[in-house]
Amino acid sequence: MADKEKRRSGAAPPGMPDGKATKSDCDREFLSQAGVGELLRGAILKMVEARSDDPIGFLADHFCNLASVTEPGTAGCGDADQMNNGPQSAQEQQHLNRALWHLRLAHHSQRSAFSNNVCVAYDLLNSTGPRRRAAEVPECPEGSCNDSQTEMGGGVRGGLYTQTLQCLCSEGGVPASTSAPLLRRLHCQDHEAVPYDVFRHGVLTCAVFSDYIRQAQRLYAEVCCPDEGPASWALGMAVLGTLREALETSQGSEANCCVNANTKSNSCLEANVKAKRYLEASAKISPYKLGQAMATAQTRGPGGDMDAKEFENAAAELFITRVKVLS
Amino acid sequence: MSSSSSDVLLPVDSSIKPPVFLHLGDTEPLSGVCVLDVTLPFGKTVNVEEISFKNHYTASVSVRLLRTGPPSQWVTAVRDLPLMENPHTEGSDVMVLFHQMQVDPDHVISVRLILKQPSSTWRSFSLEDIRILPHKQQDPEKEVSDWLSDLTLADQHTDLEGLPPPQSVSSSLQQMFALTEVMMQSNETTASIGRFHVDGCYDINLLSLL
Repeated sequence: MADKEKRRSGAAPPGMPDGKATKSDCDREFLSQAGVGELLRGAILKMVEARSDDPIGFLADHFCNLASVTEPGTAGCGDADQMNNGPQSAQEQQHLNRALWHLRLAHHSQRSAFSNNVCVAYDLLNSTGPRRRAAEVPECPEGSCNDSQTEMGGGVRGGLYTQTLQCLCSEGGVPASTSAPLLRRLHCQDHEAVPYDVFRHGVLTCAVFSDYIRQAQRLYAEVCCPDEGPASWALGMAVLGTLREALETSQGSEANCCVNANTKSNSCLEANVKAKRYLEASAKISPYKLGQAMATAQTRGPGGDMDAKEFENAAAELFITRVKVLS
Repeated sequence: MSSSSSDVLLPVDSSIKPPVFLHLGDTEPLSGVCVLDVTLPFGKTVNVEEISFKNHYTASVSVRLLRTGPPSQWVTAVRDLPLMENPHTEGSDVMVLFHQMQVDPDHVISVRLILKQPSSTWRSFSLEDIRILPHKQQDPEKEVSDWLSDLTLADQHTDLEGLPPPQSVSSSLQQMFALTEVMMQSNETTASIGRFHVDGCYDINLLSLL
């Protein structure tokens, strides 16, 4: 009898008649038991951060990802072996996909949102340790402590990190041949454990590089616009030459700006020097200077063409030579 | 000794950092040397005419000036000018004005006053109410920050026929420049992965034994 009542009225306490007030109470209780408030709040916060153009698609992806989080326990004993076989198990692939999804949410110019997402992605990839066994019970009294140790792993696996960077570059529209030299500077070996700082730097550099290459592609389109054919070699090199000069000026040599050791620690002097350098550098890519450079290149006469790929590679080289090699 | 401009000279807007007392070793309780840095407004240089202050038991003062123009250097304008007749006895603590400097105090970015008080009679000593008066009242309208005045003026139009519009090309380049700068700033703050670190084996002294 009591069972029947329970089944009929859901979460209502047994013995109480069904009334309107109780129905909304039990609705509310059901919602709070399921944690729906938190779920929706989390989803809305993520959406505000990401500001995607497709809110429904975004929410669909978000809930899909969450659904796959709650499933790992059901993988069962049989899958435990699979985690150690080969460099890419199914779980790792899943983590990678989810990490990439997080990294796509915010543009790198949205500093705090981007940093948060990098953190989340790092934690996701970090938890995929080679020794993680969902089914086996560790043979030591502090079972939970051991679990958290294998969870930490000391860093993201080098191979997984490199894969993340590759995916970021290709999703950003950078062809593999263009991003290869960049990845050579940033990649890590499979046996290395990548700390957070390095991970963040790598991810940020790849995101910025994707933007840079897209911008270079747009620039090429502008440079060859008047002729509607490939741009001339001299013109392309002149344009990129002004950018190279600007970058060299902004880095500038420290040698000639201070004589006494005293002046090195003078912060207002340093800030002065930096500001001047930035102004000089940006003057080199001003429309006036560009006009001069382009006119000079044109007067040199015809001298071969530069296609889009060559232009892109030359621009990429300017960027990549300034990326610090990881060591 | 009247200054050449007749109107009231306004002192330059300066900020004075907290005094730094110099010690030899760790144990000396009282210091006899104090350094006061006076920073001048950002971006402009000052042609110093006078430095005035109220003395508070300082025996002597030296003045060093940081002058701009490549290369920037510190020069000594005044060396050990006595402010008290006898460091141990109560001397004058009235306002002291001077503008006899050994070097030309022009294009100054920063002023450093080095105070000395060798007598242990006085527990503390300093200069108060420090004001730096510029050479002539600088005309605020015509004055441009020295960053901008160093840039050369652009001439007018070059022949741009058949060339892509410089405005749009320039704005693309500026974005690429900014992106590269973002990457380089991130470069500076990155930790290393310690790929070549082998614990205990990279002692520089071991290398020198080879």
